[in-house]
Order: sequence, then structure tokens, then C-alpha cells
Amino acid sequence: MSSVTVAAGPAAGLLSRSRIGSAGRRVLSRVLAAVLVLFASATVTFFALHLTPGDPVRAVLGGPTANPSPATIAATIAEFGLDQPPHVQYGLYMSRLASGNLGMSFSQRQPVIDVIAAQVGPTLQLMASAIVVAWVLALASVMATTRRHPLLQGLGSALETISAALPQFWLALVLLAIFAFGLRWFPPQGNQGALSLVLPTLALALPLAGFLAQVTRESLELALDQPFILSARTRGLSEGAVRWRHALRHAVLPGISLSAWAVGSLIGNAVLVEVIFSRQGLGRVLYQAVTRQDMPLTIGVTLLVTLVYILASAAADLLFVLVDPRLKAHRS
Amino acid sequence: MTLSDVLPGRAIASRIRIGRLPPAGAVIPGLFLVLLILAAIEPRLFTAANPLAIAPREAFQPPGPAHLFGTDQSGRDIFTRVIYGARQSLLLGVGAITVSMSLAITLGVIGGLGGRITQRAVGWTLDVLFSFPTLILALLFASHLGNGIGPLIIATGIGNVPGYARMVLGQVVSARHAGYVEAARALGHSPARIIRRHILPNAMRPLIVTVTMGIGQAIVWSSALSFLGLGAKPPAAEWGTMLSMGRDFVQRAWWMTFFPGLFIVLTTLSTTMFGRYLQRRLEGRLP
Amino acid sequence: MTSLNRRRRPARATTLLASVGLASLATTILPAFGADEPVKGGTLIYATDREPTCLDPHVDGDMPQVFIAQQYTDSLVSQDKDGKIGPWLAKSWTVSDDGKTYTFKLRDDVKFTNGEKFNAAALKANLDHIKNPATQSSTAGGYIQQYVKTETPDEFTAVVTLSKPYAAFLEVLAQGFLGIEAPSALARPRNENCETPVGTGPFKIIKWDRQSQIVLERNPDYNSAPPTAAHQGPAYLDQIIWKFIPEPSVRFASLASGDVDVIETVPPESEADAEKNPDLTLIIADRPGNPTNGAINTTRAPFDDIRVREAFVRSADISSALDSVFFGRYKRAPGPLSAATPFATPDFKNLYDYDPDRANALLDEAGWTEKDANGIRQKDGKPLTVHVPIGDFQGPAERSLWEQIQATAIGTGFDVQLEPLGFSEWLDRQATWNYDIIPEYWNTNTADVLRIVLSSEFLGAAGSGGYHQNASGFKNAEFDALVNKALETQDPEARRKLYYDAQKIVASNFLQVLTFPQSTRLGVYKTAKGVRLEPSLSVTTLYDAWVQK
Repeated sequence: MSSVTVAAGPAAGLLSRSRIGSAGRRVLSRVLAAVLVLFASATVTFFALHLTPGDPVRAVLGGPTANPSPATIAATIAEFGLDQPPHVQYGLYMSRLASGNLGMSFSQRQPVIDVIAAQVGPTLQLMASAIVVAWVLALASVMATTRRHPLLQGLGSALETISAALPQFWLALVLLAIFAFGLRWFPPQGNQGALSLVLPTLALALPLAGFLAQVTRESLELALDQPFILSARTRGLSEGAVRWRHALRHAVLPGISLSAWAVGSLIGNAVLVEVIFSRQGLGRVLYQAVTRQDMPLTIGVTLLVTLVYILASAAADLLFVLVDPRLKAHRS
Repeated sequence: MTLSDVLPGRAIASRIRIGRLPPAGAVIPGLFLVLLILAAIEPRLFTAANPLAIAPREAFQPPGPAHLFGTDQSGRDIFTRVIYGARQSLLLGVGAITVSMSLAITLGVIGGLGGRITQRAVGWTLDVLFSFPTLILALLFASHLGNGIGPLIIATGIGNVPGYARMVLGQVVSARHAGYVEAARALGHSPARIIRRHILPNAMRPLIVTVTMGIGQAIVWSSALSFLGLGAKPPAAEWGTMLSMGRDFVQRAWWMTFFPGLFIVLTTLSTTMFGRYLQRRLEGRLP
Repeated sequence: MTSLNRRRRPARATTLLASVGLASLATTILPAFGADEPVKGGTLIYATDREPTCLDPHVDGDMPQVFIAQQYTDSLVSQDKDGKIGPWLAKSWTVSDDGKTYTFKLRDDVKFTNGEKFNAAALKANLDHIKNPATQSSTAGGYIQQYVKTETPDEFTAVVTLSKPYAAFLEVLAQGFLGIEAPSALARPRNENCETPVGTGPFKIIKWDRQSQIVLERNPDYNSAPPTAAHQGPAYLDQIIWKFIPEPSVRFASLASGDVDVIETVPPESEADAEKNPDLTLIIADRPGNPTNGAINTTRAPFDDIRVREAFVRSADISSALDSVFFGRYKRAPGPLSAATPFATPDFKNLYDYDPDRANALLDEAGWTEKDANGIRQKDGKPLTVHVPIGDFQGPAERSLWEQIQATAIGTGFDVQLEPLGFSEWLDRQATWNYDIIPEYWNTNTADVLRIVLSSEFLGAAGSGGYHQNASGFKNAEFDALVNKALETQDPEARRKLYYDAQKIVASNFLQVLTFPQSTRLGVYKTAKGVRLEPSLSVTTLYDAWVQK
């Protein structure tokens, strides 16, 4: 039993209900669920950080050469609202969140919303290009090598398995060493220009491509065994048309479901890649925020990440429904 | 003749056979894993040196007869550290998977066997946790729990619970509605007996594969955390930590990052390939 | 050149032509080889490892902040390489006999880049801003805790009153941490001023792209260069791009390829490569202050016993460790004040020499005579353990250094346990005195650092959350008297004598395991010229720099 069946669960349920009638209800329930998830996300983060040993005030004012006066320390504690007991802080924090105010970052001295707005672009850019490149590579490998010459097949499968096993941070270092330091084809760091996006994207995309390819390959093989493929072939369609126009729609379904999960894992791995390539982005911001116990910023970024994940999930489900030929037949 | 031979399109490795032995795609990874486990249990079988001993005069030696994988900036032998790192990594991988699975099975079984409300509640909880990417959840817990292997195991373990729990939930739910359970109910077996003898075993069997492959994934996650400085801190002989220590010297001493990384890749590959082999064998057995 | 040789034989006219040709060839080639004439215009790209938390140096106060402040602010006074205080925004000053009142005569021809005039009211606004707790000033505020008020009898005269005599006042005023900013800018909310502060300096802040870079542009009306600068008038560069590249290998690679013109904090492992590379130059200078050291906690066992402290200092082979970790490029600190600090003396250096025989003798004398199976000394069954919390923010080189100290100390029976910790945890351990040795340093241009780091005044003020600058816990009335007396007199010779005695007490009490002085280490690509380190804190100044691209 692979994860394919489970991941297709939520969308498979759509087959049994009347889609048009309950569409409104479903959207509403999803929005409600999303809000609850965000709320729970903020709560978990608040308490996880709160229980961390250490003192955010000292983290901001302290360090090897700090000499703040007691009055300064008191003023900072008051400004951060840390003189209140935890449950009061929590209450204040949640009420501010409810009105859309994400608060002020302790360590960056900017409104959290400004920090996020400045850094979200590069991260989203990186993630989007990674997903696109991953799918392109996965589809290329799968479509070209499945059920063809056994040697080709074996090679494709082997490459996919190896790619999926590469840890992103190691791959990033290897790419950096060979292509940036060694061959000097790409800059070792940077936020501007397409060239500086290439290596970070590859570091994230290659393992994901391997993973997506494995799942899609299995699915394509199953699809190519189906009777409708046989009938398409007997109707005289070329191999390419058979694959691309008929089998593909079935084959990509599990990959699409998994893409939502992939987005989540990309966000996590973006932390590593952004650190290694000195790129701007939310990953690095989150890492710094957690290590400096910057509560408002950590919660802000976590909320955004949760939101992105929820949106990606919804998009994946929607795409699934649009692409699934079974549903199309059901509709007509 | 097995299922692997009947179903077309399997990788070549699964077709290479020597007599009645399992295919090369299972033997080679299996052998690697066995060696790894040996190294974890008794590293001294492979190396007599101390992974933490420094020798400043032998810093940055390239791979050679005296130091198979070279030395690092303080002269520590990388081969020895990779071997001892096997112990750390397997401990992390197995430990994290144990934590993940215990929680996942608990949640999944409760959710799967309970009524609609329980199922919904558990499903919703998992959705919440699932929205935290593994690394972020692990980050939060790692910084909260402090350093060392124990906290790292818990952090990585918890980070992967949502994904696995959803899987378990799905398996339990479908096992619950399967034909043989209907039959058992028709035969008048008690619910407890049905659960114990039919639902649980059938739900759990596919997880064997997940666990095998999950160990590799857990090793990668915990290495990532150590790489970021949140898990095993330098100069611990842990593969991720070694990568972090070597990243300043990528040009000068490529072997410091290459070998630990290679072993992470080989371990993940082995668990994946072995897991898939197990999967195919098990599929051959399922009705 | 061969064509010129052939022309040598023919007539004089052709020879004349040849020499004209040679001359014009020279004038075109020579500038490309780096003439000494600064070129106006161009952009210099500077890459540093750490991003400041705020561009206003009054707030917080870490080293990245003072580096950027040096480019867009001027200070009230300047300090030359001998430690002597000279004029800058203040033309002259007098100090009252009781040392508590400073009267400054200020320049009347200086404007901030937003058009505001610099005057006594501006100085008052700055000092008040630093003192204000809401500014959250860790460094600058800490340096002027004695400040009471400023009066402005006329537009360009400021009378500053202190609560106690403070001879280091002028010295701290020379630091970029107390750079002078425009009053209207300071009046804005703190976080706004963090983004776009305004000074009188040779450059002005245009934009801060977080996690990426800061863009600065030339101040065309600049006329207030200090006497320590290499020229007067506006800067040469049109623009500076101040980039953040935290990964050391990436930062150095960017320099070696010419993608950036100057980098800060050249990684130790790359310095040899930088020297061999003809396109690169290194600019290295020690910073004044208390060098990087392991502060020994004298408030608990085993280091409450001075013999054990001395034994540990003698057990650490610092020179070999430095040679190994820093590839022979860092030298041992001469004493509790680095050589670049005013009034520093190297006379007590030998008290810190590696001497395992003496260490063993001292430990035997102190009663640590039992030894366990691993050679660790014991007393009454308790092992001689030394806990050293090391923050991951302190860098891998620091950690490697302590690993080597650990390796030599075990030879005399010390069990050094290095405890790697995250930033918050490290601060926690520091605040609760839960350590035997803790690595630290203090960069400042005044010998008064001895008072901050070792006098009983700094053992942890009430309300400071436990944080204490005196990490050794040293409490010595004679020492306190000396360092406080040194603040009461303006006479440099008197101060020299007092600080000499103070350093003697510090050295003979073995309060710190001195390792290496902090330093500024710049790597400069061939396109950048005139990059200098200003003399007070050895901070980069790009005022005299120009580029040739």
C-alpha cells in the first residue's frame, strides 16, 4: 500500500458527492478550517518559543560587549510586553493577531509585516522555480524512459532513485563547489538576476524531481496497463499521443497530491539553501528568529508558512479535480 | 517466478538474480545496511582511532593511506568519524522513526477505530500539525529542548508524525471496511478480536516499508538540523555536523564535506531500495 | 618595443618621434598600473559577514553598526594612532578642575545631509538620545552612564555635565558608536531612525535592503573630515554598496573573482591564498580593548584558588594553538589590554607563558594530588573539571582554539569540557555564573575597559537580568581604586602609571586566559584604492577610497 491511495483520499471523496451543490459549503468549511489551523499554529509556536530557555531581552541587548543600564533593560522588557505573565501575553498577542496586527519584531526592529513583505518574494521565487523545474525534470525522465528499452528504463529509474536520496544541503554544497567556486559559471551568492537563482533552484529541485518521478513512473506504468490505453492504440494513435494525451492525465494525479506536501518540504529546505547561498528569504529569517527567540517574528513567519501550505493544498486539490479525467467524464 | 517478474517495467536491478537469492537491487543495499549496523554497534571493527582526537600537525590531509578519507581542520581522521557517525545516524534514524511511529500509530488507530467525531478530530489535529513543514516543527522543538541527541531525536520524530499518522489513519480506515472484516463480523467474532487479528495486522503491514524508508529520511532531517547547528554540535562525529564543519573549507578540503554526504546518500539510497524490495515482496503476498 | 628598436638606427627626427611615442605610451600605461591620483566617481562594493540590527549606532551597538556608522556620521572628537584626542566636530574644549564639566566649542560650518545645521542643540539632542532608556542603547549608553545634562549658552558652545569625573569621556566620544546624528531624525520613532538615519558624514544612507545590502551615496557638501583623514572635502566615491555575505567561503570567493572590491573578516584559512594572489591586498590591524580571552570565574571552585588559576593559564599552550588554528597569522595578546589600546603595557606577558612544570607544581601545592585513570587530577574525590560554554555565534575558529587548549591542559590534569550552546543558552549561563571559563572580548579605544571588565562595579547591576560585564567576578578594592582614580585625572602620565599598576594586578591574579587580540582584517581587490582603517577602533573608513574599474 503506497501513499498514493491515501493522498488521493480527499479528492477521491469528491467523486461521491454532487460537486456543484455542495461547492459553497465546502469552500466555507475549508476557510473555517484554515482559520482554525492558523490559530492553532500561532498557539503552538507561542508556547514552543515561550518554553525555550533564555531571555529575548538579553538576546537583543546582550552579547559579548554589551553594557546596558538597568533603566534600558527595564524599558526594553516593558516595550516587548514581557513583564506580563505568559497567559496575559498570549491573550494580548492573540487579540492583536485577530485584528490583523502581527506586532513588532524584537530582533529586527521592524513591524513583522514589513520583514515578511521584504523577504517573502525571494523565497516564493525560489520555491516556484524549484517546483516547476522539478516537474519538468520528472516528466522528462518519466515520459522518455517508462516502458521503453529496458536499459533506458533502468537508467531512468536509477537516476530518479539516486536524485531522491540526495540531501538538499549536501547537494547545495556540491553545486556551490563545482559550479560557483570551480567553474565560475554561476555566482556563489546573490539575490538578483536569473543566474543567481540557478544553483539554489537545482539544489531544491533535483531531489524533489527524483521523488515526483518515482511516484509518477509507478502511476504511468499502471495507467499504461489500463484497457483504455489499449483501445487508444488500436485506434491507431502514436505512442507519443497515447502517452501525452491519455496516460499522462492519470499518471500525474498522485504527483499533484504530493505537490502540496512538497511545497511544505520545500519551505523547510529553503532554510538550508538560503543559508548556504546567502540569499534573502523567509527561511533564513525564520532560523534567525527562532535562535534569537523573537516571538512576534517567529509566529508571523510560521503563520505565513501555514497559509502558504493551506493555499498549496487547496490548489493541489483543485488541480487534481481539473486534471482528473475520471471526473471529467463524470461531469459530461 | 514472482510478482516482480510478472509485472512489467520493474527496474533492471530487480531482475538480476543469482539462483534463488533476492535480486541485486536488494542484496547490495541490504549488505550496506548490515555493514552500517555493524559499524554502529561496534565501530572498533572498522577503525581503532578516536573520532574526537585532534592532531594539529595533520590538519587538512587529503585522502591517502594514512587517512582513508583525509583529515579535518584539527587533524581528526574523517574515516573514523564517518564510522562513528554511523552509530549517531542510525540511532537518530531509528530513534526518530520510533518516536514518529509510536505517536502516529496511536493517533491513527484512535482516529481510525473511533467514531465519526473522533475521526474528524484526529484528522483535523493532523491537518494542523501537517501544515508545519517538518523542518520548522523540528526547528521549534530543537531550540526548545536544547542540544544533544535526545532532543534531536524527539524533534525529528515529532516533525514527521503528521505525515505518518495520516497514513496510518488511512490504512486503519480502509482495513476497517475491508472484505475480510465484514466476513469476520458476519462470523460473529468480537470487535476486540477483529481489531487484534485482522484490522491491526493488515493496517500495519504496509507500514514496514514506510518505516524502512523513513529511517533514511529521518537521518537526512536530523543531519539537516545538525547542519544548521541545532542538533549535535561540533565537534560531534555526526554526519550533518561534519558537513557543517566542512563547509568553510569546500575548496581547500573537499573531502570534509564529500564523504559524510556520500554516506548520507548511500544510507538513504539503501533504505529506499531495500524498502521498495520489501514492498514488492509484500505486495506479492497480499490477497 | 621591437618597432622602437628598429627605429633607433635612422635619423634624429625619427628618434624624436620615438621618444614622444614612448612618452605617450607611458602616460597611457602608467595610470592602469595604479597611479597615486585618486579618481573621482565610481561604485565600491564592500562585503561584510554580519548585518547590523539597526543603522543608528546609538541603538544596541554591535560591531557591524559602528562600521556602517563610520561612513555616514562624524564624531565629536577624533583619536589618532597614539591615542591622542584631536578636534573633529568640536574645535576645542576645556575640562573643569573637578573633571565633571566639559565645555566644547563646536564648528559652525557643518550641516547634516538633510540640511539641518550642526550646533550645540544638536549635540545635546544626541547625548540625551543615547542616555534615554527607550533608545535601548547597550554600547553607547553604557559608555556615558555618567552623563547628566548639556547646556547651550550660545549656538556653538556646549557645556556637558557629568555626575563623576570621567577621563575616558573624550575617548568614548571619538568612537563611531557615539556618532552625531541630525536632531530631527532622532526625534522620529526609534525603529524609523534605524532604517534611514541622518549624519554629517562623507556618505549618506540611501536604502537598506534587509538581508541583502545597504546603499550609500556621496555627500557632496562634506567639509568636516577629521585631522586623521588623508584628504579634506567630499569623498571620491559616488556610491558604496555594503553587502552582507555571511558564508566565509562564499565571501572570499566573491573577492577573489572581483565580484566585490573589499571584504571584511577574511577567513583565516584564506589569508595565505590572499597573500599569494597578486590581485589582492590584506589590510590588518589589531583593535584596542580587552583581547579575546577566556574569563576565569573566580567565584566558584576550582578557580576560586589563585594557584589553580595560574596553573591553568600555564597549562594552555596558546602560541602553538594560535599557529595551528590561524595558520600562524594571529599573535598572542600581550596582556589584558591589546597593544593598540592607549596605556597598554607588554611587561606582564611572561606571566602567561606556557609552563607545564610550574602548573604541575602549583596544582600539587593546591592539593590536587590524586589522579584518576585518565590522568585527570582529583581532590577529595572530585575531578578537576573546567566547564567552558562556547556559543555557536563565536565561530568555528574559536572552538578549534579551545579544543587545542583542552588538549594541552589535559597534560597537567585538567578536564576541560567544551559545551557548545546556542546564543540564548549561552547568555543564560553567563547571567547565572554557571561556567568556569567563558570566552569573551571587548573592543573599545580606552583603557577604561579594565574597569568595565574587571571592577566590582560591573558584577551585575540590579535589574540587569543577571548580565554582568565582569565575567571573572573579580572583586579587589585596590584594583577598583586604581581604575577609578585613573578617571579622575586628565594627565596622561598619571593615567599611564595608574593603568600600569592596574594591569599588574590583573596579570598577577590570573583572571583571564588571554588568547588573541581582536582585529579588523580586510581583503582588498586591485580595483579599490585608499581603503583605510581609522585609528581609534580600527574601523573601515571608505572616505579616502576610490575605485579603478
